[in-house]
Amino acid sequence: MHRWLHRLSLVLCCTALVACAPWLAPASPSQPRSIELSEVPFFPQAKYQCGPAALATVLNFSGLDVDSETLESAVYLPKREGSLQAELLAASRRHERIPYRIPGTLDALQQELLAGNPVLIMQNLGIDVLPRWHYAVVVGYQAEHNSWVLRSGTKQRSIESAASFWRRWSKAGNWALVTKPAGELAATVEPRAALQALADVESMLSAQQAQRAWEAALLRWPEEADLQFATANARRRRGLIADAAALYRQLIKQQPDHLAAHNNYADLLLEAGCPYQAELTLNAALEYENSTALMSATLHKTAEEVQAALQQKPAETDCPIN
Amino acid sequence: MYTARAIMLFKALILICATTFSTAQAAVISTSEYIVNETQSSHLSNVERLLARDDVQQQLVAMGVSPEEALARVAALSPSELQLLSQRAQEMPAGSGVLGLIGAVFVVLLVLELVGVTNVFNSI
Repeated sequence: MHRWLHRLSLVLCCTALVACAPWLAPASPSQPRSIELSEVPFFPQAKYQCGPAALATVLNFSGLDVDSETLESAVYLPKREGSLQAELLAASRRHERIPYRIPGTLDALQQELLAGNPVLIMQNLGIDVLPRWHYAVVVGYQAEHNSWVLRSGTKQRSIESAASFWRRWSKAGNWALVTKPAGELAATVEPRAALQALADVESMLSAQQAQRAWEAALLRWPEEADLQFATANARRRRGLIADAAALYRQLIKQQPDHLAAHNNYADLLLEAGCPYQAELTLNAALEYENSTALMSATLHKTAEEVQAALQQKPAETDCPIN
Repeated sequence: MYTARAIMLFKALILICATTFSTAQAAVISTSEYIVNETQSSHLSNVERLLARDDVQQQLVAMGVSPEEALARVAALSPSELQLLSQRAQEMPAGSGVLGLIGAVFVVLLVLELVGVTNVFNSI
């Protein structure tokens, strides 16, 4: 009877441990190293204004001169008495800084700090049923104490133990953000996340900035087809026609069923006065049956334009950029 | 009520015309169009996207943002963010910190703080 009780209590203890596991989970980065970015500025938050304050912190660090009062009008929602995550991303874009979502791991946090990037995070200071959402900026890690250093609220150097830090962060979905100027990437951002971040910011950037941003991503992931496509588009938008053409060709060779690349390359050739070469590219694309209705419609639209150009220019000529 | 509906219908009509004509113009596929159409699970038409933008703008105004600023704010949101906000802006987490915490929430969190479940007030 005693042994049975003993076993039962053991099982209960294990269950309790597992139940608490998400809180305890990764206690520290896999290779703990102390780091603190002490030059990161501090903007103490006014009432409910942790969003503008945290955003001002990372934007100023990236070289902008913008205070939290200015950002308030871009992110604060008076009736919600707070700021939404999506609006922090949007406000960063409006200041021509690219907001990269990074993986929600302690290793990624430490890696960003070691690369010199403060990380804007969301925390839940309350409990699940009674959340109290908060934004703060991680600026350091102390390996000897296993604790994190944050610019948070009205504290310039808020020091949080690993357990407390993890609980608050994981209760807010491990949301983390690094903002960088065009041409620079976050250290730990994954290729799909970078593609999304750049596509979302592009309309806010000049043609020159946009191209610089895409080229930097392509340099890190030269094999990513969609980054090649986006960079070729950005080169063309800047008027670098030959460079754009070369990249479209490289992409089509590497991935012959990238129909959008065929389409845009054909359009470029058409504009450059090469309708014959454009027709060849399009014919290759129209043979694929994996296209969506929208893609198919666009390809046919481009083909019509090519046919119209061919009728005006019946003799085949050499194309300067092919 | 009827005027509101009529305005809505009118807007939708304008949007449909605008998007129909815009697709008839250029045959180049922009990167953002490509990403939205090829890689995202939710496929929204141009009209739906513009309606979502309009809707989010109105919600921002309802939450206390000036109409001009709301316009600038939605312009910087991505298509998927617009869609998400148009559906769930009211219940999405709004980060505010713990300053100015009052009433019942304050009392509950204070009790939790005293018994050691949270340490909210440590971060003020």
